[in-house]
Amino acid sequence: MNPIEAALKTSNVILCVGPGGVGKTTVAATLALRSAVDGKGSLVCTIDPAKRLANSLGLAELGNAELRIADPVLEGASGQKPRASMHAMMLDMKRAWDDLIEQRAPADKREKILNNRFYQSLSTALAGSQEYIAMEKLCELRMQRGYPLIVLDTPPTAHALDFLDAPDRILDFLDNDAAKWLLTPALAAGKIGLKLFNLGSSYVAKTISKFTGTETLQELANFMLHMSSMYEGFRERAHQTRALLEAETTSFVLVSGPMPERLDEAVFFHTTLLQSHLRIAAVVVNRVHPPVPQALWAEAKRLPDELRKRVEATLNENDHLASQDAKGVAKLAELCAPTPLVLVPRFEMDVHDLTSLWNTSKFLFGEAHIEPATPAR
Amino acid sequence: MLISAFERVKVAEAAVHSVLLDKRLIIVTGKGGVGKTTIATAIALASARAGQRTLVCEVNARERISGLLGRPETGAEITSLEENLWAVDVKPHEAMREYALMILKFESIYNAVFENRLVRYFLRFVPSLQEVVILGKILFHLKEKRPDGSWRFDRIVIDAPSTGHAITFFSVPKVILDTVPPGALANDAKWMRELLIDPAVTAAVLVSLPEEMPINETIELAAALKDRVKIRPQAVVLNGFIPSRFTEGDLEQLPPGELHDLAAAHQARAKLSVSAAERLRALGYPLLIVPRLFTPTFGRAAIEEVAGHLGKS
Repeated sequence: MNPIEAALKTSNVILCVGPGGVGKTTVAATLALRSAVDGKGSLVCTIDPAKRLANSLGLAELGNAELRIADPVLEGASGQKPRASMHAMMLDMKRAWDDLIEQRAPADKREKILNNRFYQSLSTALAGSQEYIAMEKLCELRMQRGYPLIVLDTPPTAHALDFLDAPDRILDFLDNDAAKWLLTPALAAGKIGLKLFNLGSSYVAKTISKFTGTETLQELANFMLHMSSMYEGFRERAHQTRALLEAETTSFVLVSGPMPERLDEAVFFHTTLLQSHLRIAAVVVNRVHPPVPQALWAEAKRLPDELRKRVEATLNENDHLASQDAKGVAKLAELCAPTPLVLVPRFEMDVHDLTSLWNTSKFLFGEAHIEPATPAR
Repeated sequence: MLISAFERVKVAEAAVHSVLLDKRLIIVTGKGGVGKTTIATAIALASARAGQRTLVCEVNARERISGLLGRPETGAEITSLEENLWAVDVKPHEAMREYALMILKFESIYNAVFENRLVRYFLRFVPSLQEVVILGKILFHLKEKRPDGSWRFDRIVIDAPSTGHAITFFSVPKVILDTVPPGALANDAKWMRELLIDPAVTAAVLVSLPEEMPINETIELAAALKDRVKIRPQAVVLNGFIPSRFTEGDLEQLPPGELHDLAAAHQARAKLSVSAAERLRALGYPLLIVPRLFTPTFGRAAIEEVAGHLGKS
């Protein structure tokens, strides 16, 4: 069985990961569509879909809510009666953070946390917090909703590690002695207005405050104190998230392009996933230029001279792109072995409507193929 | 008609070249995959060629610039690539160390405190500290002078993170000013912000591709930079432009089949390129056009060609 088809069958969570600008969102939406039509109900959770994709999914006006895609829409795209339902949602990071606090923080701390300046930067601007909340949301959807398959389109991370690290990072922090060491005296004294000397009038604390300003430490300590009743919950969910990522029923689909400037990033991603013992179903190489059939050159020769030159220039360019892509594909295959590669051709126009998603799915499922060109000499 | 639109744009290039190269800090950003690193490298190369001492910075990335120019990796140390051109891949850990040492003065204290495992965890939680030390290092070099009083670097080009991360990254001084009470950190955030929002010093270059998503993102990014981050976009680069090649008549002349489809596909992309240029030009910033390159390997030669297109006069 084709690796993508197998992953859809055996997984209940699929994460589409990879460098920016390679078509992760499209692949995620395609997998969810295919799964639903074939009989396994799905939810695709996208981060920042193209407007036209959002429109064709009917998501244009929606925020965090899960929306069911109408069956006739699925049927129109695939030409067959869908055997299960497809849902789609957009993830609003700030909203997700606020929801988390509203649901999990004790009543008397909620407002204090939501108004804390550290919280505001945590939920909107802090690097890594997007990745973290995306993982939280995934976990919540998995635990609380009955979707047979959830496909997560991951945020455009600057670094592969940020995303995979997110749960670990929170755990690291909560589990580590520094937090306890900073907070314990205050917690023991039941003090809310934490004084810096409570943080340990230590040399270390003084030195850090020289760096960040005394009040910063103080404010941060207050923030952590408010959050402290949520620590256990964070810890628990971070463990759950980690377990979810490692579960047998979770697969990663690494999406890449064939162009050389994205290759290193994709290979690095692949290595990182492997080192973290995560299951990679396949590397999807998106937007591959198929080779130019030899016969076309002969055909071009029969054209009037002036037009022939321009047609040949186009053939040359296409040939060039195809052999360049073939080189990229060969390199990916070598560096990501034994993970299977699945090639999706570059379509004439950007893929935004559901019918093109359906066509894409044929390549993902191995029902249609492109043979890469012979790698460039 | 399509061709003439392309020609018009080229005329604008010369003007843009001179506008770009009178700023000391050039921030290159855009959607992932649009060619930010290529454009940043080309701008840096053009700047160095113009006799300006130029530093090009990658930000905690997988280092690519040195490789594109056919040089060994520089790592986190500022390294000379060729005459007037230096490169560095700024990493948070090293930047933090340099920054802390500047404040603490004593390496032994730094080692005792900042290399402490527990403290490192703690610092990781201080909002945006990582970004601020990276930005701080870059902007420190912008202010740095040589013994004779001239700038150590006449110009710094930042190969910045992609859209969302760039907005976060360059907002960091403001976030710190809003969150962090007065102290060493807030003081540093203040001068950093002043440099970033000074239109006489800093210019953003937004890179885009003739495709829907990158164009949409460029338009949003331009607004966000200008209104929220207060960094002035100075120019937009449309990378991967496909010039028109066939007329309607040509396409009719080609018999139905793959050859016709290839020519039609080329023309469709050319049309997309023109409408992309129009949408981007409507932003009101000078538009630089870099045609799609068909080179066997993307290395120094390609960068030189891109630099040529950017600097055409």
